[in-house]
Amino acid sequence: MASTDDGGGAKPVGFDSLRRLKSTEPPLFLSPSPDLSQAARLASQYLFSSLKPFAPKSPFSQLLTEGFDAEQIWQQIDLQSQPLLLSLRRHLRHFEKNPEDIQKQFDLDRDSDGLESESESFDEDEEDEVEEEEEEEEEEEEEDGPDDGEMEDEEKGNADGVEDKFLKIKELEEYLVDDEEKEYGLKKEKKKRKRGKITDKDEDEDEEGDEEDDEDDEEEDNELGLMGLDDDDEEEDGSKMGTARYEDFFGAKSTGQGQKSKLFGGSDDLDMDDGNNNQKKNTLSTHEKELEKLRSEIETMEKANLEPKTWRMQGEVTAAKRPKNSALEVDLDFEHNVRPAPVITEEVTASLEELIQKRILEGRFDDVQKPPTLPSRLPREKIELDENKSKKGLAALYEDEYVQKTGFVSTALSFSDEQKKEASMLFKKLCLKLDALSHFHFTPKPVIEDMSIQANVPALAMEEIAPLAVSDAAMLAPEELFVGKGDIKEETELTKAERKRRRANKKRKFKAEATKRTARKVQQNSVTNSAGAGGNDES
Amino acid sequence: MSSATVNGGEAATGTDIEAAAVQAPTPAATNTVPFAQKPNFKPLKAHEISDGQTQFRKVPVPPHRYTPLKKAWMEIYTPIYEHMKIDIRMNLKARRVELKTRKDTPDVSNLQKCADFVHAFMLGFDVIDAVALLRLDELYAESFEIKDVKTLRGEHLSRAIGRLSGKGGKTKFAIENATKTRIVIADTKIHILGSFSNIKVARDSLCSLILGSPAGKVYSKLRAVTARMAERF
Repeated sequence: MASTDDGGGAKPVGFDSLRRLKSTEPPLFLSPSPDLSQAARLASQYLFSSLKPFAPKSPFSQLLTEGFDAEQIWQQIDLQSQPLLLSLRRHLRHFEKNPEDIQKQFDLDRDSDGLESESESFDEDEEDEVEEEEEEEEEEEEEDGPDDGEMEDEEKGNADGVEDKFLKIKELEEYLVDDEEKEYGLKKEKKKRKRGKITDKDEDEDEEGDEEDDEDDEEEDNELGLMGLDDDDEEEDGSKMGTARYEDFFGAKSTGQGQKSKLFGGSDDLDMDDGNNNQKKNTLSTHEKELEKLRSEIETMEKANLEPKTWRMQGEVTAAKRPKNSALEVDLDFEHNVRPAPVITEEVTASLEELIQKRILEGRFDDVQKPPTLPSRLPREKIELDENKSKKGLAALYEDEYVQKTGFVSTALSFSDEQKKEASMLFKKLCLKLDALSHFHFTPKPVIEDMSIQANVPALAMEEIAPLAVSDAAMLAPEELFVGKGDIKEETELTKAERKRRRANKKRKFKAEATKRTARKVQQNSVTNSAGAGGNDES
Repeated sequence: MSSATVNGGEAATGTDIEAAAVQAPTPAATNTVPFAQKPNFKPLKAHEISDGQTQFRKVPVPPHRYTPLKKAWMEIYTPIYEHMKIDIRMNLKARRVELKTRKDTPDVSNLQKCADFVHAFMLGFDVIDAVALLRLDELYAESFEIKDVKTLRGEHLSRAIGRLSGKGGKTKFAIENATKTRIVIADTKIHILGSFSNIKVARDSLCSLILGSPAGKVYSKLRAVTARMAERF
């Protein structure tokens, strides 16, 4: 590129190139073309030179584009533009604070050519601002080249799109107004209300609004606060500026329709039907979203019902029917039929020992007692083996056996029977004696079938109710004790005649006996004499 | 000589009978052969069975039974001589008891019975028990040795003998009483006196004892057997 010194020749060339750049289609910028780059360089040179008088501090007299890459060119522009921007901002702030200065400026401009110059300057300012903006855009384009095609697109698109959006927003507003007119019947009120709603909505908006506001701020900063500074514009347009969002500039997701639906969503408290009517897949209202959620839930549930149940829901499940180790993950609840083992603590052992000691002292043991077994058969006579030498001889034994077999004699009592008999006899005797002593039960003497001589005793023995201390002898009545006959008199009681009579009887008895004795003696003597005589004779 | 006379006597009697018999039918039948009537003999005496010869039995006396024999001689002698009518004498020189039949010995078997009786005494049985042999026919005396059942040596043998007798002989007595037999344990020889079935039972018990079963087990078996035997009657 040939650097032109003459401003007049450069000016139209630069302007032409600018115009050309402006006219080219945005996609053409994606592909690198030398023509476009040449045009861009020329345009930037023109701009630089035009701005030079307002930036005294810049070291470059003109923009050097030959043999320099995008970065270097940009650096040059930046060097110039940075102080320029600062000064411009200062001016703007000043004008903001003192709006009458603008008038003064205008007046001054009107008054003198300075006005034109002012206006020019103003225009130039504006132009500069616009140019700056455009410059920036171009530089950005040059810098990034094909990489930031999207960004460029977005920028360009935004540049174009903003205006589109605005237009669309306008249409939106009109539509909204008309609709609300229908509902409420008051247009103006609607407008205000709508605006209020929108502003409210803006305030209510959460992240999106914040993000967009932030981006708005950024955009404002980037664009020299052009958009944001116009408060009047903002108030006039209302939704347009204040509610400019990410989508407006970058156009990522939403179209006007989406915005519309969002706006509708904001006013959904009152207009549910409108929300329902809108059935677009791209952006759904919260109500629609809920419905969708419900629907999907229902679908999943129906699906689950159709499928076979999980093993947990089936009745009896064996190990083969469920996946491996799946029972470990599930919290199973089943009845424990076994009592859990008791935890042995010191207290338990102490209590046990106490119980044991008490029982031992009492002597109360819970011994298992065999239930009495009913004898199914008659108990067999237990044969007792006699371990002593048998008293009977073998012959006697066989004799007994033979006799038993033939049956001449009744069956001999076995050894045990004899002993039993003896034992029972002894016991009966003992019992009788004990009963007699105790007087509890009167039992007569046992009848022992014996051939024995019995004393002349009365057959019956009646019980004598007398105290123990009284002996049998004392129990007898005097008549029973009396031995003798008649009326007994003692010697002292006898009269003399009776005494004499007794003595006479005694004498008579004695005499009778004595005669008897002598007679017997005589007899014996005679016998012996005769015998002796006979004997003598014989010898 | 004597036999001839006897025969002669018999023949004479026979001929007498024959003559009598011949005399009777001769007048009846002349042409048929004369059939002799069935002879009717008187039973032979014990003496005559052996053709009038006396029979002897000799029973040797073992040295350990010599003194008991001397003590119990009269008890042996009396039943043999009085009831069995067998002559008995002790041959001191030969240390034998000799038995001989007499003329008036009623039965031939008496001699054998007496011999058995004396032999039983020599085995070691008491006279009272041995006398049963004289009185009952079916009694036998069986002997066997421990080594017939099981070969035992030394300590084992002594223990077996001890097991058989028991403490104070109680096991032996128990078997005797239960089976109505008499048992004599002479060192390694065992003699049992009794009837056939009883001997068998006693022998079984003794064999089980020899083989090593404890006395309690033998007792229980004995009880069962005797109960069964008693039930039969």
